[in-house]
Amino acid sequence: MTEYYTRMGDGRRVTMTKEQVMTDIQAGTADAADMAGIPALDANDIEHMCEIVIDQSRVVGVEPGHEVVMTYDIGQLDFTGDNGNSGNGVDMGRLEAALLHERALGADTFELSHSDYSIKPVKPVISMEMQAMEEIQSEIIAPYFYGAMPNMGLYYAPDGPYGNPADLMREFKIDESMASSEAAADHLARDIEFVTTRLQAAGSDGFNFDTTGSAGDADFVGTLNGVRILREQCPEAYINVGAAGESVMGIHGMMEFDGEIAAGLYPHQQCKLIAKAGANVFGAVCNTNTSRSLAWNLGRAVTFIKKAVEDSPIPVHVDMGMGVGGIPMFETPPLDAVARCNKAMVEIAKVDGV
Amino acid sequence: MAFENETQKLHDALVSCKVPEISKAVDEAHAAGMPATEIINTLGGSMSEVGVLFERGKLFLPHVLSAAAGMKKAMEALNDELSAGNSGGDVKASAVMGTVEGDVHDIGKSICSTMLQCAGFDVHDLGRDVPLGKFVDECKAGCTFCGMSALMTTTMVQMKTVIDNLKEEGIRDKVTVMVGGAPITQGFCDKIGADIYGESASETTRKAQDVLGA
Repeated sequence: MTEYYTRMGDGRRVTMTKEQVMTDIQAGTADAADMAGIPALDANDIEHMCEIVIDQSRVVGVEPGHEVVMTYDIGQLDFTGDNGNSGNGVDMGRLEAALLHERALGADTFELSHSDYSIKPVKPVISMEMQAMEEIQSEIIAPYFYGAMPNMGLYYAPDGPYGNPADLMREFKIDESMASSEAAADHLARDIEFVTTRLQAAGSDGFNFDTTGSAGDADFVGTLNGVRILREQCPEAYINVGAAGESVMGIHGMMEFDGEIAAGLYPHQQCKLIAKAGANVFGAVCNTNTSRSLAWNLGRAVTFIKKAVEDSPIPVHVDMGMGVGGIPMFETPPLDAVARCNKAMVEIAKVDGV
Repeated sequence: MAFENETQKLHDALVSCKVPEISKAVDEAHAAGMPATEIINTLGGSMSEVGVLFERGKLFLPHVLSAAAGMKKAMEALNDELSAGNSGGDVKASAVMGTVEGDVHDIGKSICSTMLQCAGFDVHDLGRDVPLGKFVDECKAGCTFCGMSALMTTTMVQMKTVIDNLKEEGIRDKVTVMVGGAPITQGFCDKIGADIYGESASETTRKAQDVLGA
Protein backbone atom coordinates (compact mmCIF):
# COMPACT_ATOMS: atom_id res chain seq x y z
CA MET A 1 0.00 0.00 0.00
CA THR A 2 1.35 3.46 -0.92
CA GLU A 3 2.72 5.43 2.00
CA TYR A 4 2.97 9.22 1.99
CA TYR A 5 5.38 11.43 3.84
CA THR A 6 3.66 13.61 6.38
CA ARG A 7 4.31 15.03 9.84
CA MET A 8 3.47 14.59 13.47
CA GLY A 9 2.44 17.57 15.60
CA ASP A 10 6.01 17.88 16.89
CA GLY A 11 7.34 18.13 13.32
CA ARG A 12 8.67 14.57 13.05
CA ARG A 13 8.62 13.05 9.57
CA VAL A 14 6.40 9.95 9.39
CA THR A 15 4.77 7.97 6.61
CA MET A 16 1.08 7.15 6.53
CA THR A 17 -1.26 5.46 4.08
CA LYS A 18 -4.16 7.39 2.59
CA GLU A 19 -6.51 5.38 4.79
CA GLN A 20 -4.56 6.35 7.90
CA VAL A 21 -4.62 10.01 6.90
CA MET A 22 -8.38 9.83 6.31
CA THR A 23 -8.91 8.13 9.67
CA ASP A 24 -6.92 10.82 11.48
CA ILE A 25 -8.72 13.67 9.73
CA GLN A 26 -12.03 12.09 10.69
CA ALA A 27 -10.91 11.70 14.30
CA GLY A 28 -9.62 15.29 14.45
CA THR A 29 -12.79 16.81 13.05
CA ALA A 30 -14.89 14.63 15.36
CA ASP A 31 -12.91 15.85 18.37
CA ALA A 32 -13.49 19.51 17.47
CA ALA A 33 -17.16 18.88 16.76
CA ASP A 34 -17.60 17.17 20.12
CA MET A 35 -15.73 19.85 22.08
CA ALA A 36 -17.43 22.87 20.56
CA GLY A 37 -20.81 21.37 19.66
CA ILE A 38 -20.34 22.26 16.00
CA PRO A 39 -20.66 20.29 12.76
CA ALA A 40 -17.82 18.02 11.74
CA LEU A 41 -16.34 18.44 8.27
CA ASP A 42 -18.37 16.69 5.57
CA ALA A 43 -17.11 13.92 3.32
CA ASN A 44 -16.10 16.31 0.52
CA ASP A 45 -14.08 18.49 2.88
CA ILE A 46 -12.36 15.46 4.39
CA GLU A 47 -11.48 14.07 0.95
CA HIS A 48 -10.18 17.47 -0.14
CA MET A 49 -8.07 17.79 3.01
CA CYS A 50 -6.69 14.30 2.51
CA GLU A 51 -5.60 15.17 -1.02
CA ILE A 52 -3.82 18.26 0.33
CA VAL A 53 -2.04 16.27 3.04
CA ILE A 54 -0.84 13.46 0.73
CA ASP A 55 0.12 15.75 -2.17
CA GLN A 56 3.59 14.70 -3.27
CA SER A 57 4.79 18.25 -3.91
CA ARG A 58 6.92 19.72 -1.16
CA VAL A 59 5.03 23.01 -1.31
CA VAL A 60 1.36 23.42 -2.16
CA GLY A 61 -0.64 26.60 -2.69
CA VAL A 62 -3.97 28.05 -3.68
CA GLU A 63 -5.05 28.78 -7.23
CA PRO A 64 -4.26 32.25 -8.60
CA GLY A 65 -7.00 34.64 -7.62
CA HIS A 66 -7.74 32.78 -4.40
CA GLU A 67 -4.97 34.38 -2.38
CA VAL A 68 -5.97 35.93 0.93
CA VAL A 69 -4.78 38.88 2.96
CA MET A 70 -1.57 38.19 4.86
CA THR A 71 -0.83 40.09 8.03
CA TYR A 72 2.03 39.54 10.43
CA ASP A 73 2.28 39.64 14.16
CA ILE A 74 5.28 40.00 16.50
CA GLY A 75 6.66 42.98 14.57
CA GLN A 76 10.35 42.94 13.79
CA LEU A 77 11.02 40.00 16.08
CA ASP A 78 10.58 37.37 13.36
CA PHE A 79 13.73 38.79 11.79
CA THR A 80 15.69 39.84 14.82
CA GLY A 81 14.72 37.10 17.24
CA ASP A 82 16.76 33.97 17.68
CA ASN A 83 17.53 31.31 20.26
CA GLY A 84 14.17 29.75 20.66
CA ASN A 85 11.67 32.30 19.47
CA SER A 86 11.57 31.20 15.85
CA GLY A 87 13.26 34.27 14.42
CA ASN A 88 16.05 34.41 11.89
CA GLY A 89 18.66 36.00 14.11
CA VAL A 90 19.24 38.85 11.66
CA ASP A 91 19.75 42.00 13.68
CA MET A 92 18.14 45.10 12.22
CA GLY A 93 16.20 48.14 13.26
CA ARG A 94 12.43 48.30 13.45
CA LEU A 95 12.19 50.57 10.41
CA GLU A 96 14.22 48.17 8.26
CA ALA A 97 12.15 45.22 9.43
CA ALA A 98 8.92 47.04 8.61
CA LEU A 99 10.05 47.98 5.12
CA LEU A 100 11.36 44.47 4.44
CA HIS A 101 8.02 42.97 5.39
CA GLU A 102 6.20 45.47 3.21
CA ARG A 103 8.47 45.44 0.17
CA ALA A 104 10.08 41.99 0.14
CA LEU A 105 7.74 39.65 2.00
CA GLY A 106 4.40 40.86 0.65
CA ALA A 107 2.92 41.69 4.03
CA ASP A 108 -0.45 43.37 3.63
CA THR A 109 -0.20 44.81 7.12
CA PHE A 110 2.60 45.01 9.62
CA GLU A 111 3.16 46.22 13.14
CA LEU A 112 5.57 47.90 15.51
CA SER A 113 6.29 46.02 18.69
CA HIS A 114 8.34 46.12 21.85
CA SER A 115 10.77 43.27 22.45
CA ASP A 116 8.75 42.08 25.45
CA TYR A 117 5.63 42.08 23.24
CA SER A 118 3.24 42.74 26.14
CA ILE A 119 1.03 45.75 26.93
CA LYS A 120 2.31 46.42 30.43
CA PRO A 121 6.03 46.89 29.65
CA VAL A 122 5.14 49.43 26.96
CA LYS A 123 3.91 51.91 29.57
CA PRO A 124 7.33 53.09 30.78
CA VAL A 125 8.64 53.41 27.21
CA ILE A 126 5.51 54.85 25.64
CA SER A 127 7.26 58.04 24.47
CA MET A 128 9.90 56.05 22.58
CA GLU A 129 7.25 53.83 21.02
CA MET A 130 5.24 56.88 19.93
CA GLN A 131 8.35 58.39 18.37
CA ALA A 132 9.20 55.17 16.51
CA MET A 133 5.62 54.89 15.29
CA GLU A 134 5.65 58.42 13.94
CA GLU A 135 9.00 57.98 12.20
CA ILE A 136 8.15 54.64 10.55
CA GLN A 137 4.70 55.84 9.48
CA SER A 138 6.41 58.54 7.42
CA GLU A 139 8.11 55.85 5.29
CA ILE A 140 5.80 52.84 5.17
CA ILE A 141 2.78 52.56 2.87
CA ALA A 142 1.10 49.38 4.13
CA PRO A 143 -1.23 49.71 7.12
CA TYR A 144 1.07 49.83 10.12
CA PHE A 145 -0.23 48.91 13.57
CA TYR A 146 1.15 48.55 17.04
CA GLY A 147 1.09 44.99 18.38
CA ALA A 148 1.32 43.48 21.86
CA MET A 149 -0.10 40.70 23.98
CA PRO A 150 -2.45 41.64 26.83
CA ASN A 151 -0.51 39.03 28.86
CA MET A 152 -2.43 39.48 32.08
CA GLY A 153 -0.08 37.14 33.92
CA LEU A 154 2.11 40.20 34.41
CA TYR A 155 -0.52 41.70 36.72
CA TYR A 156 -0.35 38.85 39.22
CA ALA A 157 2.23 38.24 41.94
CA PRO A 158 5.19 38.24 41.73
CA ASP A 159 5.09 40.57 38.68
CA GLY A 160 2.06 42.64 39.61
CA PRO A 161 -0.02 43.89 42.52
CA TYR A 162 -2.73 41.21 42.53
CA GLY A 163 -2.68 37.80 44.19
CA ASN A 164 -1.95 34.92 41.87
CA PRO A 165 -5.28 33.12 41.27
CA ALA A 166 -3.59 29.76 40.86
CA ASP A 167 -1.90 30.09 44.25
CA LEU A 168 -5.09 31.30 45.89
CA MET A 169 -7.10 28.45 44.44
CA ARG A 170 -4.68 25.86 45.70
CA GLU A 171 -5.46 27.23 49.15
CA PHE A 172 -9.17 26.88 48.29
CA LYS A 173 -9.56 30.68 48.41
CA ILE A 174 -11.82 30.62 45.40
CA ASP A 175 -13.63 33.90 46.06
CA GLU A 176 -10.33 35.73 46.61
CA SER A 177 -8.96 34.19 43.45
CA MET A 178 -11.93 35.42 41.45
CA ALA A 179 -11.69 38.91 42.98
CA SER A 180 -8.01 39.04 42.06
CA SER A 181 -8.80 38.11 38.45
CA GLU A 182 -11.46 40.79 38.25
CA ALA A 183 -9.15 43.49 39.65
CA ALA A 184 -6.37 42.50 37.25
CA ALA A 185 -8.78 42.60 34.31
CA ASP A 186 -9.82 46.15 35.22
CA HIS A 187 -6.17 47.15 35.47
CA LEU A 188 -5.42 45.58 32.10
CA ALA A 189 -8.27 47.52 30.46
CA ARG A 190 -6.89 50.76 31.90
CA ASP A 191 -3.42 49.97 30.59
CA ILE A 192 -4.81 49.14 27.16
CA GLU A 193 -6.49 52.51 27.10
CA PHE A 194 -3.24 54.25 28.15
CA VAL A 195 -1.04 52.51 25.58
CA THR A 196 -3.35 52.27 22.59
CA THR A 197 -4.77 55.77 22.61
CA ARG A 198 -1.28 57.27 22.77
CA LEU A 199 -0.04 55.15 19.88
CA GLN A 200 -3.09 56.09 17.85
CA ALA A 201 -2.29 59.72 18.57
CA ALA A 202 1.22 59.05 17.21
CA GLY A 203 -0.22 57.92 13.89
CA SER A 204 -0.76 54.19 14.27
CA ASP A 205 -3.29 52.75 11.83
CA GLY A 206 -4.56 50.40 14.48
CA PHE A 207 -3.71 47.85 17.15
CA ASN A 208 -3.13 44.12 17.13
CA PHE A 209 -4.06 42.36 20.38
CA ASP A 210 -2.07 39.15 20.16
CA THR A 211 -2.76 35.99 22.17
CA THR A 212 -5.80 37.40 23.95
CA GLY A 213 -6.90 35.24 26.85
CA SER A 214 -3.51 33.62 27.46
CA ALA A 215 -4.06 34.08 31.20
CA GLY A 216 -7.63 32.85 31.01
CA ASP A 217 -11.12 34.27 30.80
CA ALA A 218 -10.34 37.40 32.85
CA ASP A 219 -7.56 38.25 30.39
CA PHE A 220 -10.06 37.80 27.55
CA VAL A 221 -12.71 40.01 29.20
CA GLY A 222 -10.19 42.67 30.31
CA THR A 223 -8.89 42.89 26.77
CA LEU A 224 -12.36 43.24 25.26
CA ASN A 225 -13.15 45.99 27.74
CA GLY A 226 -9.95 47.72 26.61
CA VAL A 227 -10.89 47.22 22.96
CA ARG A 228 -14.27 48.79 23.62
CA ILE A 229 -12.60 51.86 25.14
CA LEU A 230 -10.18 52.10 22.22
CA ARG A 231 -13.06 51.88 19.75
CA GLU A 232 -14.96 54.64 21.59
CA GLN A 233 -11.96 56.93 21.77
CA CYS A 234 -10.47 56.19 18.35
CA PRO A 235 -13.30 55.30 15.96
CA GLU A 236 -10.88 55.18 13.03
CA ALA A 237 -8.56 52.58 14.59
CA TYR A 238 -8.26 49.24 12.79
CA ILE A 239 -8.34 46.62 15.51
CA ASN A 240 -7.20 43.00 15.27
CA VAL A 241 -8.00 40.72 18.19
CA GLY A 242 -6.21 37.39 18.05
CA ALA A 243 -7.06 34.63 20.50
CA ALA A 244 -4.77 32.40 22.56
CA GLY A 245 -6.44 29.09 21.88
CA GLU A 246 -9.49 27.32 20.57
CA SER A 247 -11.21 27.64 23.94
CA VAL A 248 -11.11 30.48 26.45
CA MET A 249 -9.55 29.00 29.60
CA GLY A 250 -11.80 29.26 32.62
CA ILE A 251 -9.46 30.41 35.37
CA HIS A 252 -12.21 32.60 36.86
CA GLY A 253 -15.13 30.82 35.28
CA MET A 254 -17.86 33.42 35.63
CA MET A 255 -16.55 36.61 34.06
CA GLU A 256 -18.82 38.11 31.46
CA PHE A 257 -18.50 40.45 28.54
CA ASP A 258 -21.73 42.01 27.37
CA GLY A 259 -23.72 39.56 29.49
CA GLU A 260 -22.00 36.44 28.17
CA ILE A 261 -19.67 34.20 30.17
CA ALA A 262 -16.30 34.13 28.44
CA ALA A 263 -14.94 30.86 29.82
CA GLY A 264 -15.24 27.96 27.46
CA LEU A 265 -16.09 29.98 24.36
CA TYR A 266 -14.92 28.47 21.08
CA PRO A 267 -13.85 30.42 17.98
CA HIS A 268 -17.36 30.59 16.51
CA GLN A 269 -18.50 32.17 19.79
CA GLN A 270 -15.37 34.23 20.52
CA CYS A 271 -15.78 36.09 17.22
CA LYS A 272 -19.17 37.48 18.19
CA LEU A 273 -17.95 39.00 21.45
CA ILE A 274 -14.81 40.33 19.79
CA ALA A 275 -16.95 42.00 17.12
CA LYS A 276 -19.23 43.46 19.80
CA ALA A 277 -16.23 45.00 21.52
CA GLY A 278 -15.44 46.87 18.31
CA ALA A 279 -12.72 44.86 16.59
CA ASN A 280 -12.38 44.81 12.81
CA VAL A 281 -10.68 41.42 12.49
CA PHE A 282 -10.73 38.22 14.54
CA GLY A 283 -7.52 36.18 14.71
CA ALA A 284 -8.86 32.67 15.29
CA VAL A 285 -6.54 30.13 16.90
CA CYS A 286 -6.39 26.38 17.34
CA ASN A 287 -3.42 24.92 19.18
CA THR A 288 -1.54 21.86 17.93
CA ASN A 289 -1.37 18.57 19.81
CA THR A 290 2.23 17.42 19.44
CA SER A 291 1.40 13.76 19.98
CA ARG A 292 -1.05 13.62 17.06
CA SER A 293 -0.46 13.69 13.33
CA LEU A 294 -0.67 16.69 11.01
CA ALA A 295 -3.83 15.13 9.55
CA TRP A 296 -5.51 14.92 12.96
CA ASN A 297 -4.48 18.45 13.94
CA LEU A 298 -5.49 19.94 10.62
CA GLY A 299 -8.85 18.18 10.64
CA ARG A 300 -9.49 19.53 14.09
CA ALA A 301 -8.25 23.07 13.44
CA VAL A 302 -10.13 23.54 10.17
CA THR A 303 -13.36 22.37 11.83
CA PHE A 304 -13.14 25.08 14.50
CA ILE A 305 -12.08 27.80 12.07
CA LYS A 306 -14.59 26.94 9.35
CA LYS A 307 -17.47 27.36 11.78
CA ALA A 308 -15.95 30.64 13.04
CA VAL A 309 -15.75 31.97 9.50
CA GLU A 310 -19.39 31.04 8.91
CA ASP A 311 -20.59 32.70 12.11
CA SER A 312 -18.29 35.69 12.41
CA PRO A 313 -19.70 39.16 11.79
CA ILE A 314 -16.14 40.36 11.04
CA PRO A 315 -13.36 38.95 8.83
CA VAL A 316 -11.41 36.01 10.24
CA HIS A 317 -7.64 35.95 9.82
CA VAL A 318 -6.55 32.56 11.12
CA ASP A 319 -3.38 32.41 13.20
CA MET A 320 -0.91 30.19 11.33
CA GLY A 321 2.49 29.50 12.78
CA MET A 322 4.53 27.44 15.20
CA GLY A 323 2.07 25.18 17.03
CA VAL A 324 -1.15 26.72 15.76
CA GLY A 325 -3.57 26.16 12.87
CA GLY A 326 -2.55 22.51 12.50
CA ILE A 327 1.11 23.46 11.96
CA PRO A 328 3.61 21.43 14.01
CA MET A 329 5.05 22.81 17.22
CA PHE A 330 8.59 23.28 16.03
CA GLU A 331 10.98 26.20 16.26
CA THR A 332 11.12 26.56 12.50
CA PRO A 333 7.93 24.94 11.28
CA PRO A 334 8.49 22.63 8.28
CA LEU A 335 7.54 24.32 5.01
CA ASP A 336 5.60 21.33 3.67
CA ALA A 337 3.33 21.42 6.73
CA VAL A 338 2.96 25.20 6.73
CA ALA A 339 1.94 25.21 3.06
CA ARG A 340 -0.59 22.38 3.50
CA CYS A 341 -2.24 23.91 6.54
CA ASN A 342 -2.53 27.33 4.90
CA LYS A 343 -4.04 25.84 1.73
CA ALA A 344 -6.61 23.89 3.76
CA MET A 345 -7.53 26.96 5.81
CA VAL A 346 -8.14 29.00 2.67
CA GLU A 347 -9.87 26.36 0.56
CA ILE A 348 -11.87 24.49 3.21
CA ALA A 349 -12.31 26.87 6.13
CA LYS A 350 -12.61 29.82 3.70
CA VAL A 351 -10.66 32.20 5.92
CA ASP A 352 -10.47 35.88 4.95
CA GLY A 353 -6.82 36.15 5.80
CA VAL A 354 -3.80 34.56 7.44
CA MET B 1 -25.58 -3.21 43.70
CA ALA B 2 -25.63 -2.01 47.32
CA PHE B 3 -26.13 1.69 47.96
CA GLU B 4 -26.95 2.28 44.29
CA ASN B 5 -29.10 5.31 45.08
CA GLU B 6 -26.47 6.82 47.38
CA THR B 7 -23.69 6.18 44.85
CA GLN B 8 -25.63 8.00 42.16
CA LYS B 9 -26.35 10.93 44.48
CA LEU B 10 -22.69 11.20 45.51
CA HIS B 11 -21.63 11.17 41.87
CA ASP B 12 -24.20 13.78 40.84
CA ALA B 13 -23.30 16.02 43.78
CA LEU B 14 -19.58 15.92 43.06
CA VAL B 15 -20.01 16.59 39.34
CA SER B 16 -22.29 19.53 40.25
CA CYS B 17 -19.17 20.99 41.95
CA LYS B 18 -21.24 22.47 44.78
CA VAL B 19 -19.78 21.97 48.23
CA PRO B 20 -23.09 22.02 50.19
CA GLU B 21 -24.61 19.41 47.86
CA ILE B 22 -21.55 17.19 48.17
CA SER B 23 -21.69 17.45 51.98
CA LYS B 24 -25.41 16.66 51.97
CA ALA B 25 -24.92 13.60 49.76
CA VAL B 26 -22.07 12.39 51.99
CA ASP B 27 -24.16 12.82 55.15
CA GLU B 28 -27.10 10.94 53.61
CA ALA B 29 -24.91 8.12 52.33
CA HIS B 30 -23.23 7.79 55.71
CA ALA B 31 -26.57 7.81 57.51
CA ALA B 32 -27.77 5.05 55.18
CA GLY B 33 -24.85 2.91 56.32
CA MET B 34 -22.54 3.27 53.32
CA PRO B 35 -18.95 2.65 54.51
CA ALA B 36 -16.67 5.68 54.55
CA THR B 37 -14.16 4.00 52.23
CA GLU B 38 -16.88 3.38 49.66
CA ILE B 39 -18.07 6.98 49.90
CA ILE B 40 -14.56 8.31 49.30
CA ASN B 41 -13.92 5.86 46.47
CA THR B 42 -17.15 6.94 44.79
CA LEU B 43 -16.23 10.59 45.13
CA GLY B 44 -12.72 9.81 43.82
CA GLY B 45 -14.15 8.15 40.73
CA SER B 46 -16.44 11.11 40.12
CA MET B 47 -13.47 13.46 40.60
CA SER B 48 -11.84 11.78 37.62
CA GLU B 49 -14.94 12.59 35.61
CA VAL B 50 -14.67 16.22 36.73
CA GLY B 51 -11.09 16.18 35.41
CA VAL B 52 -12.28 14.93 32.04
CA LEU B 53 -15.00 17.61 31.88
CA PHE B 54 -12.34 20.24 32.68
CA GLU B 55 -10.11 18.91 29.92
CA ARG B 56 -13.00 19.07 27.46
CA GLY B 57 -13.72 22.69 28.39
CA LYS B 58 -17.07 21.85 29.98
CA LEU B 59 -15.98 22.77 33.51
CA PHE B 60 -13.49 25.41 34.66
CA LEU B 61 -10.83 25.61 37.31
CA PRO B 62 -13.05 27.03 40.08
CA HIS B 63 -15.48 24.17 39.49
CA VAL B 64 -12.69 21.63 39.85
CA LEU B 65 -11.56 23.37 43.02
CA SER B 66 -15.08 23.38 44.47
CA ALA B 67 -15.41 19.68 43.79
CA ALA B 68 -12.05 19.10 45.46
CA ALA B 69 -13.09 21.27 48.40
CA GLY B 70 -16.25 19.18 48.75
CA MET B 71 -14.20 16.01 48.71
CA LYS B 72 -11.78 17.43 51.27
CA LYS B 73 -14.71 18.29 53.53
CA ALA B 74 -16.07 14.77 53.13
CA MET B 75 -12.72 13.31 54.17
CA GLU B 76 -12.70 15.54 57.25
CA ALA B 77 -16.26 14.53 58.13
CA LEU B 78 -15.44 10.83 57.76
CA ASN B 79 -12.00 11.11 59.25
CA ASP B 80 -12.63 8.96 62.33
CA GLU B 81 -13.95 6.03 60.35
CA LEU B 82 -11.31 6.40 57.66
CA SER B 83 -8.54 6.50 60.26
CA ALA B 84 -9.90 3.40 61.96
CA GLY B 85 -9.87 1.54 58.69
CA ASN B 86 -6.72 3.31 57.58
CA SER B 87 -8.04 3.78 54.09
CA GLY B 88 -9.03 6.44 51.63
CA GLY B 89 -7.85 9.60 53.33
CA ASP B 90 -4.10 9.26 52.87
CA VAL B 91 -2.04 11.49 50.63
CA LYS B 92 -1.14 9.51 47.51
CA ALA B 93 2.36 10.87 47.06
CA SER B 94 4.35 14.09 47.31
CA ALA B 95 5.12 15.99 44.13
CA VAL B 96 7.48 18.91 43.64
CA MET B 97 6.33 21.19 40.83
CA GLY B 98 7.94 24.21 39.23
CA THR B 99 8.86 26.14 36.12
CA VAL B 100 12.57 25.70 35.51
CA GLU B 101 15.13 28.42 36.12
CA GLY B 102 15.20 31.09 33.44
CA ASP B 103 11.53 30.67 32.58
CA VAL B 104 8.78 32.80 34.10
CA HIS B 105 5.69 31.19 32.53
CA ASP B 106 3.68 29.30 35.09
CA ILE B 107 -0.02 29.25 34.27
CA GLY B 108 0.01 25.75 32.81
CA LYS B 109 2.20 24.46 35.61
CA SER B 110 -0.11 26.02 38.22
CA ILE B 111 -3.16 24.35 36.68
CA CYS B 112 -1.30 21.06 36.72
CA SER B 113 -0.38 21.55 40.39
CA THR B 114 -4.01 22.21 41.20
CA MET B 115 -5.19 19.13 39.33
CA LEU B 116 -2.62 16.97 41.12
CA GLN B 117 -3.69 18.41 44.46
CA CYS B 118 -7.31 17.66 43.61
CA ALA B 119 -6.27 14.09 42.83
CA GLY B 120 -4.83 13.68 46.32
CA PHE B 121 -1.16 14.48 45.82
CA ASP B 122 0.73 16.57 48.36
CA VAL B 123 2.00 19.27 46.01
CA HIS B 124 5.06 21.39 46.74
CA ASP B 125 4.73 24.09 44.10
CA LEU B 126 7.97 26.09 43.98
CA GLY B 127 6.58 28.60 41.48
CA ARG B 128 8.59 29.82 38.52
CA ASP B 129 12.21 30.51 37.68
CA VAL B 130 13.07 27.75 40.14
CA PRO B 131 16.79 27.07 40.70
CA LEU B 132 17.45 23.54 39.50
CA GLY B 133 18.93 22.42 42.80
CA LYS B 134 15.62 23.03 44.54
CA PHE B 135 13.92 20.29 42.55
CA VAL B 136 16.61 17.86 43.67
CA ASP B 137 16.42 19.08 47.28
CA GLU B 138 12.68 18.40 47.40
CA CYS B 139 13.19 14.92 45.96
CA LYS B 140 15.87 14.22 48.53
CA ALA B 141 13.40 15.38 51.18
CA GLY B 142 10.83 12.83 50.05
CA CYS B 143 8.99 13.94 46.93
CA THR B 144 8.58 10.95 44.64
CA PHE B 145 7.21 12.95 41.73
CA CYS B 146 9.12 15.83 40.13
CA GLY B 147 7.14 17.98 37.69
CA MET B 148 8.97 20.52 35.55
CA SER B 149 7.47 23.03 33.13
CA ALA B 150 8.96 25.31 30.47
CA LEU B 151 7.46 27.51 27.79
CA MET B 152 10.64 28.23 25.91
CA THR B 153 13.00 26.09 23.88
CA THR B 154 15.87 27.93 25.52
CA THR B 155 14.84 26.82 29.01
CA MET B 156 13.42 23.36 28.42
CA VAL B 157 16.94 21.93 28.23
CA GLN B 158 17.26 22.61 31.98
CA MET B 159 15.02 19.62 32.59
CA LYS B 160 17.76 17.25 31.51
CA THR B 161 20.14 18.85 34.00
CA VAL B 162 17.72 18.11 36.83
CA ILE B 163 17.43 14.50 35.69
CA ASP B 164 21.23 14.22 35.55
CA ASN B 165 21.45 15.71 39.04
CA LEU B 166 18.91 13.21 40.35
CA LYS B 167 21.12 10.46 38.90
CA GLU B 168 24.21 11.93 40.54
CA GLU B 169 22.42 11.95 43.87
CA GLY B 170 21.49 8.30 43.38
CA ILE B 171 17.75 8.92 43.65
CA ARG B 172 16.69 8.91 40.00
CA ASP B 173 14.96 5.53 40.27
CA LYS B 174 12.94 6.72 43.27
CA VAL B 175 11.44 9.70 41.44
CA THR B 176 8.92 9.87 38.61
CA VAL B 177 9.94 12.82 36.46
CA MET B 178 7.09 14.64 34.69
CA VAL B 179 7.66 17.27 31.99
CA GLY B 180 5.28 19.61 30.22
CA GLY B 181 4.84 23.00 28.60
CA ALA B 182 4.24 24.30 25.10
CA PRO B 183 7.53 23.27 23.44
CA ILE B 184 7.74 19.91 25.23
CA THR B 185 6.85 16.80 23.27
CA GLN B 186 6.83 13.07 23.91
CA GLY B 187 9.98 12.91 21.78
CA PHE B 188 11.75 15.41 24.02
CA CYS B 189 10.53 13.57 27.12
CA ASP B 190 12.00 10.33 25.77
CA LYS B 191 15.21 12.01 24.69
CA ILE B 192 16.04 13.43 28.12
CA GLY B 193 14.89 10.31 29.94
CA ALA B 194 11.86 11.74 31.74
CA ASP B 195 9.04 9.38 32.73
CA ILE B 196 5.85 11.30 31.96
CA TYR B 197 4.97 13.81 29.28
CA GLY B 198 1.61 15.49 29.70
CA GLU B 199 -0.09 17.17 26.76
CA SER B 200 -2.40 18.79 29.33
CA ALA B 201 -2.75 19.14 33.10
CA SER B 202 -5.40 16.42 33.14
CA GLU B 203 -3.26 14.03 31.13
CA THR B 204 -0.29 14.57 33.43
CA THR B 205 -2.45 13.91 36.47
CA ARG B 206 -3.93 10.80 34.91
CA LYS B 207 -0.49 9.44 34.08
CA ALA B 208 0.77 10.22 37.59
CA GLN B 209 -2.18 8.34 39.03
CA ASP B 210 -1.42 5.44 36.70
CA VAL B 211 2.11 5.24 38.09
CA LEU B 212 0.64 4.80 41.55
CA GLY B 213 -1.94 2.35 40.26
CA ALA B 214 -4.59 4.67 41.66
